[in-house]
Amino acid sequence: MTDDVFFASISELNARLRKREFSVVELTKAFAERLERLGPRYNALANPLTEIAIRRAKDVDDELKQQRFHGPLQGVPFGVKDLLAFAGAPTTWGAKPFAGQVFGENATVLSKLDKLGSVLIGKLAMVELAGGPGYRLASASLFGAGLNPWDRTRWSGGSSSGSGSAVAAGLVPFALGSETSGSILTPSAFCGVTGLRPTYGLVSRHGAMPLSWTLDKIGPMCRSAEDCGLVLQAISGSDSKDPGSAGKSFYYTPQYARKLTDLRVGFAPDDLEWAEPGARPAFEAAMQVVKSLGVKLVEVKLPAFPYGPVISTIVSAEGSSVFEQLIASGKVNELADPKQIEGLKAGLEIPAKDYLKAMRIRTLVKEKFAELFQQVDVLIAPSRYGIAPKITEPLDVGGAPGGRPTTPAMAALIPACNLAGLPALSFPCGFVDLMPVALQVAGPAFSENALLAMGREFQARTDWHKRHPAVG
Amino acid sequence: MITRRELAAVVAGSGLAASAEAQTASLPSDLATAVRDQNKLMGEALAKFGIPLATEPAFQFKA
Repeated sequence: MTDDVFFASISELNARLRKREFSVVELTKAFAERLERLGPRYNALANPLTEIAIRRAKDVDDELKQQRFHGPLQGVPFGVKDLLAFAGAPTTWGAKPFAGQVFGENATVLSKLDKLGSVLIGKLAMVELAGGPGYRLASASLFGAGLNPWDRTRWSGGSSSGSGSAVAAGLVPFALGSETSGSILTPSAFCGVTGLRPTYGLVSRHGAMPLSWTLDKIGPMCRSAEDCGLVLQAISGSDSKDPGSAGKSFYYTPQYARKLTDLRVGFAPDDLEWAEPGARPAFEAAMQVVKSLGVKLVEVKLPAFPYGPVISTIVSAEGSSVFEQLIASGKVNELADPKQIEGLKAGLEIPAKDYLKAMRIRTLVKEKFAELFQQVDVLIAPSRYGIAPKITEPLDVGGAPGGRPTTPAMAALIPACNLAGLPALSFPCGFVDLMPVALQVAGPAFSENALLAMGREFQARTDWHKRHPAVG
Repeated sequence: MITRRELAAVVAGSGLAASAEAQTASLPSDLATAVRDQNKLMGEALAKFGIPLATEPAFQFKA
């Protein structure tokens, strides 16, 4: 099989399967072989599931022969972040203390995809414990630093590192990632793929490693907004096994999307001050494309809250409670990243007053965002303000070049929207030094169709999402 | 050793919030102390932020 297959969209692959250009077994074998061969090149592969996948692919071939169609994901291989349980296979959570962990039940999202005939070919690498309360180095993983397919000296982003690089390198047609605060959007932006963080509660987390019960979300990382819509429809829905379930489903309905000329898009002009100088022309050009969509651009400011302390306090307190036994056992010291080790220990000492204050401020964040979304329908900003950092650079030395800008712009959009439980779509919008950069659009709860419509129209006018790295 | 002023600058800046996974602290060799100091400063930043007395935390108990 050739690159046109490995970088095809979900709909294209499904159409070619139905036309019998190749069988599900042939497609599965081709992707599985590629994932096993090239996954280690990017430290993207946690655990191949090739034999199981081929057995499942044979069943799906039989279904197709019998004309039992289950939708566009049928027969399409995929990979998942190794934080999701797949019965009988190791689920390491990217962390040495859990390297031998095996569950007896599938995560709900995997059962849903299996029912639709999508074929899981491998578990994908991730930052240990999805980043926990914070980590310092790209190497904070059982699998080593996630390497970016566009430049292996650069990071793939985290914590859904393998999901980002595997989709970018054409090792899987799509992948699932998870986000507590940035873990889908960041690797999507750095690897040049399209990633969707759904509204909190829209996708079941049953069978997923918890990091922060009130923040964790699972979402798709794909080649396009269109593919994200198809996958989100498949994995969303009520689940009594997830206490955070919103009890809602999602139907991808691009045919009923609002006209973009009716859409009010909030942006902060001072965002460019936060961007790396080399990335500014790419973001400016991308905003010109956004304007050309006919949307109404409205200048806005993010509500003023101490987003950093609020989200860090919540993730630290909840994460350290989740991993209390790991900390008490001393096995926490087996983690790769010293900052994460100390952060988990220290998180157990966060006073109740701080956690509760953070959660009370969060109530206000949610209210203010509801008000903001009376003025505009979506917000737009760079997903990250520059390209992926070198894997040797400490990740906790941030900030804009030449000092911090005087205005906050949209710099806190990722933690703010995660605190409010709101969805966002990241899509590639250009290249800088041969590395991708991306825009994000965020909207009110359950506005995924509007975000996808905007992403889809942007991608109809650009080809950034179709570009792919030279892969051996 | 990182100074309290440096930590305060980190916590006060919204850049910290760029992601929970990539906090913007410059950590000294004594990580344990630095992380605890950072948590303390975050607590202080939260304490300074005034909110209405009636504001309830953003979670619900369902009976």
